[in-house]
Amino acid sequence: MVDAVFLALSVLTIGSAIVALEIRSLIYGSIALMLTLSGVAGFFLLLDAPFVAMFQLSVYVGSIAVLILFTVMLVRRELIFNKIEDKRRRYAGIGLMLALMLGIGMIIIGSGMKSMETNSPSVDYRKIGEDFLTYYSPALVVMALVLAASVVGALTLARREDITNDQRAD
Amino acid sequence: MSTIAPQFRLSRFIASLFDIIFWVLLIFSLVGLPLVFIVLFYIKMPVVNGQMLTPYLAMTWMADPSRTLPIIKSFMHTTLFHVLAFPGFGFAALLSAATIYVERKFLAKIQLRVGPLYCGRIEGILQLMGDGLKLISKEIIIPAKADKPIFWVGPLLFVGTAGAFVSLIPVTGGWVVANPAVGLLAVFATIGFFPIISVLTAWAANNKWTFIGGLRALHQMIAFEIPLILSLLPIVILTGTLNLSQIAESQQHYWWIIFAPISAIVFFICILAELERIPFDLPEAESEIVAGWLTEFSGMMYGLIQLGTYLKLYAFAGLFTVLFLGGWNGPSVWPAFPADIITNGITIGPITAKIAGLPLFDQAMLNGILWFVIKTVGVILLILLPRGVFPRIRIDMLLHTGWYKLIGLAFINIFIALGLLYAGVLGPGGLIQ
Repeated sequence: MVDAVFLALSVLTIGSAIVALEIRSLIYGSIALMLTLSGVAGFFLLLDAPFVAMFQLSVYVGSIAVLILFTVMLVRRELIFNKIEDKRRRYAGIGLMLALMLGIGMIIIGSGMKSMETNSPSVDYRKIGEDFLTYYSPALVVMALVLAASVVGALTLARREDITNDQRAD
Repeated sequence: MSTIAPQFRLSRFIASLFDIIFWVLLIFSLVGLPLVFIVLFYIKMPVVNGQMLTPYLAMTWMADPSRTLPIIKSFMHTTLFHVLAFPGFGFAALLSAATIYVERKFLAKIQLRVGPLYCGRIEGILQLMGDGLKLISKEIIIPAKADKPIFWVGPLLFVGTAGAFVSLIPVTGGWVVANPAVGLLAVFATIGFFPIISVLTAWAANNKWTFIGGLRALHQMIAFEIPLILSLLPIVILTGTLNLSQIAESQQHYWWIIFAPISAIVFFICILAELERIPFDLPEAESEIVAGWLTEFSGMMYGLIQLGTYLKLYAFAGLFTVLFLGGWNGPSVWPAFPADIITNGITIGPITAKIAGLPLFDQAMLNGILWFVIKTVGVILLILLPRGVFPRIRIDMLLHTGWYKLIGLAFINIFIALGLLYAGVLGPGGLIQ
C-alpha cells in the first residue's frame, strides 16, 4: 500500500515538476508547480510528519504558489522572461541534473541512511516546539530576527512616498 | 374530471404501476443480481458468527427484524457511512440546504417581505427543490474563448475542497470523518486552496468581470487568512493541542469565548470575509462587476459553486462552535431510551416483539448532536444577519481592516492568553482545569 502510494506520489511530483519547467503556458506551469509542492507534502505525510506536511500545504501551496500566480497574471510576460533556448543548453541541463541526482543518490545509499525504521510513531509537534525553545533557542532567535528584518524590508520596499493618499476618507 | 389529465383512467394507471413493478423486478434479477455477484466476487467478505456473509445471508438477516439493527449499527461505524451520511457530506449538505431556505426567509422577514411563498404550500418550503431542478435542467454554457480544462474543473475542485473542510469538523464525541492530530493546521491548509481556485476559474473564464472578481477574492482571502490564523492561536495556547476533538472536549466547564472574546470577534469577521458575505462581498458585487468571479458559470456548475459555498459556511460555523462555543458540550437534555423496551420488548395487544440491539443511538451522542446543531445554527444565523443590515464596504477599507486592525486585535488576545497561561490560571496544569 505504502509502496504504491509512494510510487504514485513520485510520478506525480517528478512529472508535474517536468511539466512546470517545459509547458508553454505560464498559468499551467504554476498549476503544475502547485502539484509538485502538494506531492512533496504527500511525502511528508508518508514520512509520518503531518505537522510539516500541513505547513508545506498552507505555506507553499497556499501562499508561495498564489504569489507566483499573482505575478504571472499581473505582469506582462515579456517583462519578466526573455527566451534563451537552444537544444544544447537543454541537454546540458538534463545531463547535469542526472549527474547531480546520481551523485546524491550514491552518497545516500553509501551512507547509513538507507536503513530506516518503518513502524516508528509520528513525530509529536509538541516535542518540536519544546526543542525549539530549549536546545535550538539560538536558532529560533536568529530566525525571528531574520523574519523581522525581512518584514521591515518588505514594508520599506512597498512604501511609496511619491503618492499622497488622497482617496481615503477615513 | 381532472383538468391536468383529462384522459385519466384508474384501471390504466394501476396497470402501468404493475408494468413498472414487473420491469423493475425483471431487470433487477437479470442484470442487478449478477452485477452484485460479480462485484462481490472481488470483495473480501467478512465472516460473522462463523458464517461468511454472502448477499443471500445479508438479505435474510435484513428481513429478520431482530437482526436488522445490529447490521445497521455496524454499518454506521464504517468509513463509507461517515463520509457519505452522518458527520460528513449528507449531514452538512442537509444543513446547508436548510441554510439557503432560511436565509431567504430570514432576509425577507428583516425587510418586511414574504420571501418564497408559493412553492410547496407552507411558506414556500419546496422552493429549494424547485431551484435545484431548475439548475440541473439549465444549459451549461462554456464561453468560446475560455480555458476549458480549468473552467470545467474549477467548480468540482471548489466543492471538493469544501467537502475536505467539512470532513475535519467534529460533530460529537468520536463522530468525525478525519481526526488528524494537527486538525487545526489541516483547516488552515484546506482554506488556503479557496483563493487559488477562485482566481484560476476567474482567469479561465476569460472575462474582465470574472477576472476583477477573482483578483478581489484573492486579495480579500489572503488579507484575512493571517488574522484568522492569529485569532485561533490563543485557543491553541490555552489547550496545548491542535486536535479539534480535544479542543472541544477541553471546554466541558467553560467555553473559550469567555477567555478569548476578542479572538472570537476577529475570527467571526474573518469568517465573513472568507465566505465573501456582505459586508465583504466585493468579489461578487453584483452592482459593480455583474457577479464577480461567478459571472460565466451557468446551470449546475453555478449550482456546484453555491453548494460549495454553503458547505464552507456550515464548516466555518461548525469550526466557530468547536473552538469558541464548547462544541457539543451542554446540559444533558435528551431523554434516555426507555429501559423496559430493551428488557421486555414492545407489547402491542397479544404480540410482544423483542428487538435486539435497540438503543440504536446512544444518549450522549444524540445530546451532543443536539447541542452542536443548536449552536451551529445560531452561528449560521449570525453570519446571515449582516446581509440584511449592512452595506458593502470599499476595497481599500477592507484591506486596511484585514492587514491592520484585525491583526493588531488578534495579538491583544494572544497576550491575554499568554498571561493567563504564565499566571497559572488556565492551560495545562492551571488552576481551572
